[in-house]
Amino acid sequence: MKLVGIAGSVADHSYNRMLLKFIANHFSDTVDLEILDINDVPMFNQSDDQTDSEPIAYLTRKISQADGVIIATPEHNHTLTASLKSVIEWLSFNVHPFSDKPVMIVGASYYDQGSSRAQLMLRQILESPGVNAIVMPGNEFLLADVKQAFDENDNLKDANTVKFLGSTLDKFVKFVRVINMLNEPQPTSAEDEDLTASSKIDTTVEGVDMGADDWVEQAAKKVNAVEGDTYVKLDRGLLTVDQLNAFLNSMPIELTYADSNNQFIYYNHMLPADKMLAPRTPAQAGDPMSMVHPARAVKHVKEVIHMLRTGQRDEIKMPVPGNGPDKYILHAYRAMRDSENKYLGINEYVEDLMPMIKWYLAKTGQKLVDDPDAVTGASAETTDASTGASSANERTVAPVAAPATPETDASTGASEDEEEPTSVASAESISASTETAADSEPDDVTGASEDE
Amino acid sequence: MNDIAQMTIKFTEIEGIFNMNKYIALVGTNSDKSTNRELLQFMKRHYADQADIEVVEIKGLPVFNKPDNMKVPDAALAIADKIDQSDGVIISTPEYDHSVPAALMNALEWLSYGIHPFVDKPVMITGSSYGSLGSSRAQGHLRIILDSPELRARIMPSSEFLLDHSLQAFDDDGNLLDQEKLSKLDGLFADFQTFVGLAKQLNHATSINRQEASDYSWDKQ
Ligand SMILES: Cc1cc2nc3c(=O)[nH]c(=O)nc-3n(C[C@@H](O)[C@@H](O)[C@H](O)COP(=O)(O)O)c2cc1C
Ligand SMILES: Cc1cc2nc3c(=O)[nH]c(=O)nc-3n(C[C@H](O)[C@H](O)[C@H](O)COP(=O)(O)O)c2cc1C
Repeated sequence: MKLVGIAGSVADHSYNRMLLKFIANHFSDTVDLEILDINDVPMFNQSDDQTDSEPIAYLTRKISQADGVIIATPEHNHTLTASLKSVIEWLSFNVHPFSDKPVMIVGASYYDQGSSRAQLMLRQILESPGVNAIVMPGNEFLLADVKQAFDENDNLKDANTVKFLGSTLDKFVKFVRVINMLNEPQPTSAEDEDLTASSKIDTTVEGVDMGADDWVEQAAKKVNAVEGDTYVKLDRGLLTVDQLNAFLNSMPIELTYADSNNQFIYYNHMLPADKMLAPRTPAQAGDPMSMVHPARAVKHVKEVIHMLRTGQRDEIKMPVPGNGPDKYILHAYRAMRDSENKYLGINEYVEDLMPMIKWYLAKTGQKLVDDPDAVTGASAETTDASTGASSANERTVAPVAAPATPETDASTGASEDEEEPTSVASAESISASTETAADSEPDDVTGASEDE
Repeated sequence: MNDIAQMTIKFTEIEGIFNMNKYIALVGTNSDKSTNRELLQFMKRHYADQADIEVVEIKGLPVFNKPDNMKVPDAALAIADKIDQSDGVIISTPEYDHSVPAALMNALEWLSYGIHPFVDKPVMITGSSYGSLGSSRAQGHLRIILDSPELRARIMPSSEFLLDHSLQAFDDDGNLLDQEKLSKLDGLFADFQTFVGLAKQLNHATSINRQEASDYSWDKQ
């Protein structure tokens, strides 16, 4: 477990720093504790923003990367030192590395109160909304009469004190694990995917019923969302909200956004539900994914999300069988990630490939012929949607070594998807679906042919 | 009204001016723009006929680092001097992270490091915040801090001036808009004047208190 420690002192000598060093050395089996220097941090001044200066950027980076923080506070005038408060102010101004970070407070002072009042105030400060740290409750490690506490090798003299410190630290280690588990619900298996979106991510709009028909209106109000002719800066460009809507609604594909909390938060509303390839209704936006899928689809939906979340796959394609030769509807699920590769959710796009294929053939004077050598993941039964349904339940997410099956349509198959054929099953819309047609359910990712 | 009576009134007024209390108003922030500074500047003008208020800045003090040689920076010594010579101190504090801004804590650390200008000094606490709470939690912390052994200020008890929504609190001339708030401030300021008068009489132990504060060394505990 990687922890960082901050001693609230910029004096040349500090018993609180000594205490942190003791923890780092004596308990190195339990924790990896790196002590951070706050000496060069300037006094906080809101009219002279130095968030990007090296001493502050360094603290921001180190704290962000750590699993937890130990703060050792002196007590000056019944409170913490200004040098420590200044650090906390910088780290609650334009950056917020303490947010949701587990923190343990310890402290040493010369007097018999052992920094008790400073610790209490520090706790209140750390729990204020701008800092938003999660301070371990219960244990209080107060090192009183600190001048007598260490031996000549800077080790704590009193065995009971060391024992108590050890047990406090053990408790903190558990606390860090639990808190970080809450912070990042990382399902270890597909089954753990929570389609009810009951946990919360940074962008989750709280206090609005996800299932409400007017979730969009309610949530927009809550966050003061911009609309109409207000400009939004994008990477790369600048559009008004109206322009952005016109742009997205004129895409030749149906787009759906499901966030990393498994909440369906957007689709490009260009057509009424009955005209869409994968029907969605305005009232569905905001729904947790559990609400937009029939129970029978849940298992496969979870598998798909899990593969994208964990990076096993970047994109999963699922054709919808049974639409005849003039339609080839493809559902594609693409993982969205930020610059640090953190999973942001699914970009689902649905399109009918046939118009484009026909256009291409006509333009280039070609026609489709069967490829007798085509290697695809399609198994014979996938040509029949109803048989596929029965076998879907036995399938796993592991690649299926399916025998090559001659395709009746060369446009399907291997060329469609370079990735290994993987059977994940459902052409059911992952993010949202009002589909009820049971026969459109199961399919292989690659090579399904819907026509004979 | 006869002449003598009128003269007596005049004399009292003049005496009042000569005996006007002198207050140091500490701006609890180093920020260039501050509604707490605005509040103190308003009080200075508004009470100009009742007291001599000097608005004093805490900006620019180095970060307190407990130097072994006990050397307090000149800027802090200058503030200590002003406080020494004043009848009382008004501190107006913003609220940062539910507490007192580091810049103000820092000033108070220097002002209790081998020097003790706050001992028995009457202090009135005010504060403003952008939100609806008016720096209540910072003011609570400031009381605790000013009550510690090396500051030992005489904080006016049972009083609180919380200026909420402070960005909208003043008109273009820097005057408080809300009349109810203003009446409250007037009342508290009048109380403070009385409190300062009282505190001057509670002087029997002051020299001992000073001695205790300067003898107080955390090191000796
Ligand atoms: C780092 C930081 C933390 C803040 N925390 C709080 C807070 O906890 N409560 C609050 O009311 N305002 C908070 N604010 C806003 C305050 O700046 C504002 O309310 C302040 O009290 C106004 O005082 P001023 O105009 O004299 O600067 C914070 C501002 C900063 C820069
Ligand atoms: C200005 C000043 C104020 C102090 N106020 C307190 C106090 O209120 N309570 C206390 O226990 N110690 C107080 N002390 C002594 C501290 O216990 C001591 O400086 C510090 O906590 C020891 O930790 P350090 O060696 O890490 O700095 C004060 C020291 C200074 C310089």
